[in-house]
Amino acid sequence: MKKFWFNKLDDVTELLLRQNARTGSRRSFLTNVGKSLLGIGALTVLPVLRGGASEAAAEKGDPNSCDYWRNCAIDGFLCGCCGGTNTSCPPGTTPSDITWIGTCLNPTDNRNYVISYNDCCGKSTCGSCGCQRDLNNTPVYRPQTSNHLNWCSGSQAGVPYHCSLSVVLGVKD
Amino acid sequence: MKLRVVLAVLLCTFSAANATEKVVTDYMLNCMGCHLDDGRGYALRGVPTLTGYMGNFLAVPGGREFLVQVPGSAQSDLTDAELATLLNWMLHAFSPDQIPTGFVPYSASEVAKLRHHPLVDVAGARAALVHQIEQKTARPK
Repeated sequence: MKKFWFNKLDDVTELLLRQNARTGSRRSFLTNVGKSLLGIGALTVLPVLRGGASEAAAEKGDPNSCDYWRNCAIDGFLCGCCGGTNTSCPPGTTPSDITWIGTCLNPTDNRNYVISYNDCCGKSTCGSCGCQRDLNNTPVYRPQTSNHLNWCSGSQAGVPYHCSLSVVLGVKD
Repeated sequence: MKLRVVLAVLLCTFSAANATEKVVTDYMLNCMGCHLDDGRGYALRGVPTLTGYMGNFLAVPGGREFLVQVPGSAQSDLTDAELATLLNWMLHAFSPDQIPTGFVPYSASEVAKLRHHPLVDVAGARAALVHQIEQKTARPK
């Protein structure tokens, strides 16, 4: 059965190539190939919406500064100062799967964004860019919105806490 | 289904221009930290899975009440109406195949009544319900 389809594919390819050879010159063939390559190249730079585009949402400021808008409810060390970024853990650490999620006002567009404060775990405390801002933080008896917990206890890597991320998840309003 | 839920959350999530749907935001802010984006939970740390399971509670006595009385629901900052909407959304998003026929969606008044009777032994209540669910699913039809 497989052989049948391979033979068919051979026949069709041969037919198309012969037809192309009969109707066009070698130079026009090369021109068309060139155009196609150029087209593919141009397509990749078209302004389409890509996944994670909200990461590039209008925002100002230095992510490694405690004043940065996304850090409004963080209690820890900023991963951007520890070998990672504000959305990726430094090498040798693992993001906590379980985390706490809050909201921060983005002063650039005056909208509230949903921010996930995943901790990066598995290495001892980073120690750089310590930042404590407790907007909407709740006491530990309401743990789901408390930033005082070590969320690394909810990670594969376990308790050692290194630093914290601030990832945009959505737009609240 | 799982893929559809993840895609729905991502679509709502990554459109900077439009606000995320209210019920999805409520899920993010009140549940997603532990139950994760697609409701799969985190067995390693004892977070129960919602995906393909949550609806089973509706089919056993006390299960419908449990979904409201469990601390994550009852003690959330959500209003009764918001919690009712969120639970109905979660059931359809994460566990549509387990919802029994004739399911009546939660209402704000039902949620208000139930969340004022918190569970004392949460783990015990859950274990008893899961036992009932397992017996029910093991029983030949």
